[in-house]
Amino acid sequence: MALKLKLHTQPDVPMEADCICPNRMQSLSDNEIENLTVFHGNRQVKLGDFFKCDGDNDGDIIIDGDLSNIKHIGSAMLSGKITVEGNVGVHTGAAMRGGEIIIQGNASDWLGPEMLGGRITVQGDAGHMVGSGYRGSTAGMQGGEIIVHGNVKNETGHVMRRGLIVVGGNAGDFTGVNMLAGTIIVLGEMGIRAGAGMKRGTIICQNKAEILPTFTQSCDYQPSFIRRYLKYLTTLGLSINESLINGPFERWCGDSVELNRGEILLYAGK
Amino acid sequence: MTENTRIVENATCTFCGCVCDDMQLHVDLDEKRITKAKNACILGRAWFAEHTIEDAPAAMIDGKEVTIEEAIEEAAQTLVNAKFPITYGLSDTTCEAQRQAVAISDIIKGNIDTTTSVCHGPSGLAFQGVGESTSTLGEVKNRADLVIYWGGNPAESHPRHFGRYAVTPKGMFTPGGKKDRTVVLVDVRKTKSAPVSDIFIMPKPGKDFEVLWALRALVKGKKISDDIEETTGVPLETLEDLTDRMKNCRFGVLFFGMGLTMTRGRHFNSGALLALATDLNEFTHFVAKPVRGHGNVTGADNVVSWQTGYPFGVNFSRGYPRFNPGEFTTVDTLSNADADAALIIASDPASNFPKKAIDHLKNIPIITLDTKQTDTTKDAHVAFRTATYGINTTGTVYRMDDVPITLRPAFESPFPEDETILKGIRKRVQELMLAKHQARGGGGEAKVASTTPL
Repeated sequence: MALKLKLHTQPDVPMEADCICPNRMQSLSDNEIENLTVFHGNRQVKLGDFFKCDGDNDGDIIIDGDLSNIKHIGSAMLSGKITVEGNVGVHTGAAMRGGEIIIQGNASDWLGPEMLGGRITVQGDAGHMVGSGYRGSTAGMQGGEIIVHGNVKNETGHVMRRGLIVVGGNAGDFTGVNMLAGTIIVLGEMGIRAGAGMKRGTIICQNKAEILPTFTQSCDYQPSFIRRYLKYLTTLGLSINESLINGPFERWCGDSVELNRGEILLYAGK
Repeated sequence: MTENTRIVENATCTFCGCVCDDMQLHVDLDEKRITKAKNACILGRAWFAEHTIEDAPAAMIDGKEVTIEEAIEEAAQTLVNAKFPITYGLSDTTCEAQRQAVAISDIIKGNIDTTTSVCHGPSGLAFQGVGESTSTLGEVKNRADLVIYWGGNPAESHPRHFGRYAVTPKGMFTPGGKKDRTVVLVDVRKTKSAPVSDIFIMPKPGKDFEVLWALRALVKGKKISDDIEETTGVPLETLEDLTDRMKNCRFGVLFFGMGLTMTRGRHFNSGALLALATDLNEFTHFVAKPVRGHGNVTGADNVVSWQTGYPFGVNFSRGYPRFNPGEFTTVDTLSNADADAALIIASDPASNFPKKAIDHLKNIPIITLDTKQTDTTKDAHVAFRTATYGINTTGTVYRMDDVPITLRPAFESPFPEDETILKGIRKRVQELMLAKHQARGGGGEAKVASTTPL
């Protein structure tokens, strides 16, 4: 049976609850879990002041409530599963190494920043900086998968080094900016300046996009690896157009101000 | 004008980031006002003329006059009782006062941010991501033979920038003044600065990043797409010509303004320009400098940096400094309704922030320190009227090139200095936090805080 956390009191200022993580709650009783420390603004309070805890902790945590004002859920998570039946605040899944976070609502900014492994699935939209690095950091996401069914905002995959980010809807500006490696797939439209400063890595988009003057078109082709990716995405519940799976892609190489070994693949079938 | 006149030589104007320190102020000591400001620009003259002594209470709580001690007590209680107190402003006060503000934020475990976050904050992010190839304005005056202004209009915003630092002054290696320099202006419209330039480049609005990126590629000898003119509005030949000039100058400088930092792309625009300056150092000496607005906004960056490690948008809620613009910057803490008390120092966010932020600001207790009545002070729970820095008080400010300058006051004010009020608040919040900590049976942390020299 999963451990259930029900939000009974909405925090009036932002709360930082990095203790909400299967590996931190492992082998704790309900009472001990409610006594875990969280930061309510600058006050250290008990998790139980805001959440009612019920069930057994078998590594599976289900959270009920709107957690928009609660930060750092699943930070540095190693294993297990968190299901949020609502929205989540910033820094969800920050630096997580393993396990799975499922968000049934929307996610805020900095979803899975500097993530190392595991999977985050958002059934709604996500904010800015999905899978990115923090300011001043040289590497963002370094492994794992982030699947957002809805839209995301700017700087998705900023300084991303490894891993997969999938956006079911539209992405904002600077998708894959300063990307070092890894794969970003956008099934909707991308904003401007995608791939700016990218060294390596692949950005795939189902629609045409404005390309920076420092990228050059190399060819139109049908890469077989995209088929495998897209078929994999259908198993995760994303609806993929059959023509996309078999379709041709324009390949743009860049960014020439950096190594010029990155690529943007734009669907060329329409 | 009375006979009781004083002349202050080499006074400093703190209106804009130029911080010109060659003012000659004529002060009427009976009327307590500056009657003449020799060497000041039009903005400086207005700054000196409008700062007179007004008949107003030095401290108020909810609009009623109180003693300064009562106001300090109420301000301290408000800040200590808040769970997410924010401190904002700081760009129009001295470094000494800024230092006290950082200490208060640290003690109350609050959030501190400066007006940098709404002007050159993106440049601050870019400095971290890209680095900064920099110099003083003195080096620019003495050495620069190629001066590029990007996204700014100094003729109107910093009128003495051209004459004192960058365009017309005769320097050690530029004895001919403007004759020895090439001036380039890049802006989306022809401003009053355009006639000063030898080359005017007008990209399409919102295309600065693309132009800078194309220049970076050209500097590195890479090919760029043929449709660059269609995309950016700037012909390829113009970009190639500018690239040649940049690579072949002896000392080049890129000055950039908020036309670059506050348009779409923000910190990436600043980052692209800083990266261009870095790239050019493969060929010649090139530097980049932001043209800062408020008199001591550069000082705010410096003080907050040397006290916390970060320039703005710093949060202490967990007992140590954390930096995250977008989360801990004041527009965000107010728009997201995070803050539950605000200490606003020498700034007027209620007149220039987004509506959502202003609406929340009006719902929380505000403590203000300002020389004048503003939209923010009108809504203040505790309002202090303070002396004007540089006119009534001494202290230190930083010019836009990070050079510290000491202020010479012109006449005394009946109002206290920002630093004095903030020192009082700091002392009281320290006592209250220590009492709270001892009531919980604690010892070490608060004792350490109470003995930390400031």
